[in-house]
Amino acid sequence: MKIKIILSVFVIMLGLAAGFYFFRPHTFSGTVIQSPQPSFNFTLTSASGDVSLSDFRGKLVLVYFGYTFCPDVCPATLANVGQALRKLGEDKASQIQTIMISVDPERDTPQKLAEYVGHFHPSFIGITGSNEKLEEVTSLYGIFYEKSPGNTAESYLIDHTATLLVLDREGYLKLVFPFGVTVDEIAGDLKYMLDQ
Amino acid sequence: MNKYLLNGVYGLLALIVVSAFAFKIFQPIQVLPRMQLSPAFSLTNQNNERLTSEDLRGKFVLYTFMYTNCPAPCYEINETIKEIQSRLDEVELDGIEVAYVTISFDPDRDTAETLEAYASSLNADTQHWSFATTTNKSLLKTIIGSGFETYYEDKGNGSFAFDPSFVLVDGWGIVRAEYRYSTEVSNADRILRHFGVLADEVRNSTGSAKLAYEAAHLFLCYAP
Repeated sequence: MKIKIILSVFVIMLGLAAGFYFFRPHTFSGTVIQSPQPSFNFTLTSASGDVSLSDFRGKLVLVYFGYTFCPDVCPATLANVGQALRKLGEDKASQIQTIMISVDPERDTPQKLAEYVGHFHPSFIGITGSNEKLEEVTSLYGIFYEKSPGNTAESYLIDHTATLLVLDREGYLKLVFPFGVTVDEIAGDLKYMLDQ
Repeated sequence: MNKYLLNGVYGLLALIVVSAFAFKIFQPIQVLPRMQLSPAFSLTNQNNERLTSEDLRGKFVLYTFMYTNCPAPCYEINETIKEIQSRLDEVELDGIEVAYVTISFDPDRDTAETLEAYASSLNADTQHWSFATTTNKSLLKTIIGSGFETYYEDKGNGSFAFDPSFVLVDGWGIVRAEYRYSTEVSNADRILRHFGVLADEVRNSTGSAKLAYEAAHLFLCYAP
């Protein structure tokens, strides 16, 4: 009888270890947000016309705020997102829409934005709008930005919050990635969200 | 199937189910929900200096909303902040700074000078407690009304209708609690307790402890 109990306990322990390993819950690399309501919907302008956030219901939407003259942070983040999409494969990537919102409408025309984001992944969309509209959208997405003067009037930089936001298929903010998130971390979290 | 193996599988399933229920029922770890991103802003404070949302990163921030000509409700809000400040040493914060930001929705009258005089009249500790606003009224409505989801309306006779509330934001700029009205437990008691819950989470935000805290979020083990 004792042997039977010991054997059963042993099998349970072994099963638990295996169970935890194979069925361990996904640990998100980004910070999970449990928004009680969908994110603020906005309409801004792309090279092909007006784009609203609500146009992409049914897809995961990655939102990134930056500008094309951005020397390092923006290209590094967008390149990582592009690579993560390639890693996920065409089928999964087609269920994800990445939007870059330029906070530099003076220099970033919609055409220039389209050309810029296309370097990172063909599916990316670049949008921008009036300063007034951008003030509203950035504030509600927790993005602070301000001009930092350069040597000439045109060579200014823009300091901005560099987080990457992920909205689920229903438009709820689900994840916030900090700057420096890796390709594998982005791909891992997006894959999990798509498989749910 | 082998009898021992079958017993093992049943035992394993039972253990997993019991553990999940036990976690949910006994809530060994409690957290505050990550409700939404706090709005970004650039305001002017009582010293006529800029106060931005970025300046407050890394701190726990308790936001309140008012106008200096406001009668009774603002008195209660301010007294609550003073009580929290005086009792802050009851909470183990591990060096995390707490900031209090009171945003006025009456920028026409609440200039930096007025806010400074108001802060002085309250004997407020302005090193940690800022009073701020912006003359950009549409942005102010975006920040307070849409961002912090706090209702206010200019009644046109020098008074405002508004929803007296507190909003607690963590060091990552995420709204973690909203206090819309007082219950049997005073707001000061709840807010102080919530500072402690947040500090516990920050303290355990790495390694295996992080997994347990994420499980608490998953199972909605929210601190009352």
